[in-house]
Amino acid sequence: MSLSADRTDFGAAQRARALADLMVLDTPDEQAFDDLVFVAAKACDVPIALITLLDTDRQWFKAKYGLEVCETEIEHSVCRIEIDQGDLLEIVDLTNDARTKRNPLVTGVRHFRAYAGAPLVLRSGAIVGRLCVIDTVPRPEGLSEMEKAMLQALARLASENLELRRIAKASERLTALQTALVEIGETIRSSHDTAEMASATAAIVGRTLSADRAGFGSVNEDVDTIDVETDWTAPGAVSIAGRHRLNEYGNLREPLVVGDPLVVWDALTDDRTLHNLESAMRVGVRSLVDMPVRDRGKTIAVFFVHSAHPRPWPAEEISFLRSAADRLEAGVARHRTEQQQLIVNGEIAHRLKNMLTMVQAIASQTLRSVTDREAVYAFERRLMALSAAHDALHQMSWTQADLQAVAATVIDAIGFSDRVDMSGPAVALGPRAALSFSLIVHELLTNACKYGALTSDDGHVSLSWDVEVGQDDDLLRVTWRERGGPPVVPPTHRGFGSKLINIGLVGTGGVDVRYEPAGLTADLHASMRHLVQG
Amino acid sequence: MVKPVVLVVEDEPLLRLFATDMIEEAGFEVLQAPNASAALMTLEERLDVRVVFTDVNMPGGIDGIMLAICIRRRWPTIQIIITSGRPWPDEAVVPADIVFFAKPYRQDRVLDTVRKMAA
Repeated sequence: MSLSADRTDFGAAQRARALADLMVLDTPDEQAFDDLVFVAAKACDVPIALITLLDTDRQWFKAKYGLEVCETEIEHSVCRIEIDQGDLLEIVDLTNDARTKRNPLVTGVRHFRAYAGAPLVLRSGAIVGRLCVIDTVPRPEGLSEMEKAMLQALARLASENLELRRIAKASERLTALQTALVEIGETIRSSHDTAEMASATAAIVGRTLSADRAGFGSVNEDVDTIDVETDWTAPGAVSIAGRHRLNEYGNLREPLVVGDPLVVWDALTDDRTLHNLESAMRVGVRSLVDMPVRDRGKTIAVFFVHSAHPRPWPAEEISFLRSAADRLEAGVARHRTEQQQLIVNGEIAHRLKNMLTMVQAIASQTLRSVTDREAVYAFERRLMALSAAHDALHQMSWTQADLQAVAATVIDAIGFSDRVDMSGPAVALGPRAALSFSLIVHELLTNACKYGALTSDDGHVSLSWDVEVGQDDDLLRVTWRERGGPPVVPPTHRGFGSKLINIGLVGTGGVDVRYEPAGLTADLHASMRHLVQG
Repeated sequence: MVKPVVLVVEDEPLLRLFATDMIEEAGFEVLQAPNASAALMTLEERLDVRVVFTDVNMPGGIDGIMLAICIRRRWPTIQIIITSGRPWPDEAVVPADIVFFAKPYRQDRVLDTVRKMAA
C-alpha cells in the first residue's frame, strides 16, 4: 500500500515537473494535435477523442474532438485512473465500474459510457496524460486489437510531438535569453549612469522572463537588509523601492550569504517562505529568484525577479539571470572606476595648473629687475603653450591629445584664432609629442606675429596635416604655411625659439623651415609610432 | 589722483603676492584676503573696492564662486574676476558679466580687464 502511494507521489511530482518543462498548458490549439484526436476518433469509431494532460488540480485538453470544454476538475478525470502503470486503460461500461459510476461526466448530460486511453509517455519516462477515446453508448465488446494498437500508436505520436514542441520552444527560449543578454550588454556599455544601467537591465530581464517585477538592490554587510532604488514592474504590479528586511519574507539569507541564487518556485509550499507569507503576499510575490552579486568574496547586491504566480525557474533562466547580474555588476564597477579616474585626473590637472602658476609667479618676482621685458613675456607665453598642451592631454585622460585641440588651445591663448586656418584628420598625439607640438606651434606663431605673415593685416597662416599610410608605420606630415605678410628675410641668427622648432615633434628633428619669398613654410614630419608613445 | 582699489582673494601666499604685485604695478591700490570670509570682512569696511580678483578653490567653506554670488547680491556695483586651475564649471550658476581666467593666466589680459572694469 505505502509502496504504491510512494510511486503515485513520485509519479505526480515527476509529472508536474515534466508538464512545466513542456510549456504546453494553456497554449492555443495546434493543428498537429487536433489531427491526432480526429484520426483517433475515426479509427475507433467514437464521437469524442481527447489529448488530456494531468495538471495537479485539473485535467487540461491540448486537443479535443467532439467536446467543447478545455479542462475539468482533476476529481472528474477518468484518464488519471491507473495513470502511473503506464498501460492502456479501457473501461467498456463506465456506469458499471466502481471508479467511474458516480462520475458526473457519466451520470450527467455528457453521458460518457465507454472509455479507452493510451498513456502519453515522454522520453524521460514521465507520464503526463493520455490520448483517449470516449463513446456515449456502452461498447460491451470493447475496442478491437487493431483499434487498441492504433490508439497506442497515435498516443506515441502525440508524446513525440510534445517532445519536439518542447525542444523547439526551449530553443526559441534560449535564443530569446541570448538576445536579451546581448541587449543588456549593449545597454550597459552605452550608459553612463549606474541607476540607468540597473533600471534598463531590470526592464529587459522582466520583459524577457514575463515576470511581474525585476530590480537591483544593494545589501548591507550582514545581508539582512536590501535597499532597492528603482525596480521594473509589469502593468498592475507595485514597486518595492525602499529598504526591506530579508527575514520579513522568510528564511532567505543563507544562500545569498554564500553566493548561491535563492530560487522559490512557490512561496506557499516552500519551507523557507511559507511561515512568513504576509509581506510577500502584500507585494504580490508568489515565486522569486534572488541572484547575489559578489565582490571580493562577499555578496554586495541582489538582482531579483518576482512572479505573482507559482513558477518553476528552469536552469537556463537561472543562468540567464546570473549572466545579467554579472554584466550589470561589471558595468557598475567599470563606471565607478571611471568616475574615480576622472576625479583623480581633474585633481592632477588642477595641481599642475597651480604649479605652473607658481612657476609664473616665481619667475615674475625673480625677473623683476630684467629690463628686457620682451624676454619675460616670451617666457610667460611659452609657459602658456605648455599649459595648453596639458589642457588637451587632460581632455583625453592624460594618455593622448588631439592634434587639432593642442594647436587650437595654443593659438587661442595667444589670440590669433581668426588668422590661422587648420585642416587635417583627427590625429592622437602621445603626451610627449603633445608637449613638443604645443611649443613648436607657439614658437611658429610668435615668430609670425613678430616678423612673419601676422605682422600685416591681411596675412594669414594655414596649418594643415595629413597621415601618410606606410607599410610598417604611418607618417604624420604637418605644414605651417604663411601667406600675405611682408617680404621674407631669413634671420641672421638662430634664437632659442628656432632651436625649439628644430627639435621636431618627437625630439629627433624631421623639420624643414624654408624662407620662401611668399612666406615662411615649415614642414614637420614624424612616425606615428613615435608620436603616440608616452 | 586716488588709485582705484582692487581686492585680491587667494589662499596661496606666493600667488597672492604675484597677483598683488602685478596689479599694483599697473597703478592700482591692492587689498589682500586669504579666503572668502576675510574678503567679505574687508568689503564691509572698505566701500571703495571697485574690482575683486578671486581664486575659486580656497579653504574655509566658501569658494570663489559663492563669494562672487555673495558680492553680486550685496554690492552689485563691484566688478568680479575669477581665476582657477580648474576649468570653468559649465553647469555652475554664476552671475552674469563675471570674467574668468584659467590659471596660469596672461598678465596683460588680466590687467586689461582690471583696467576696463575700474574705469
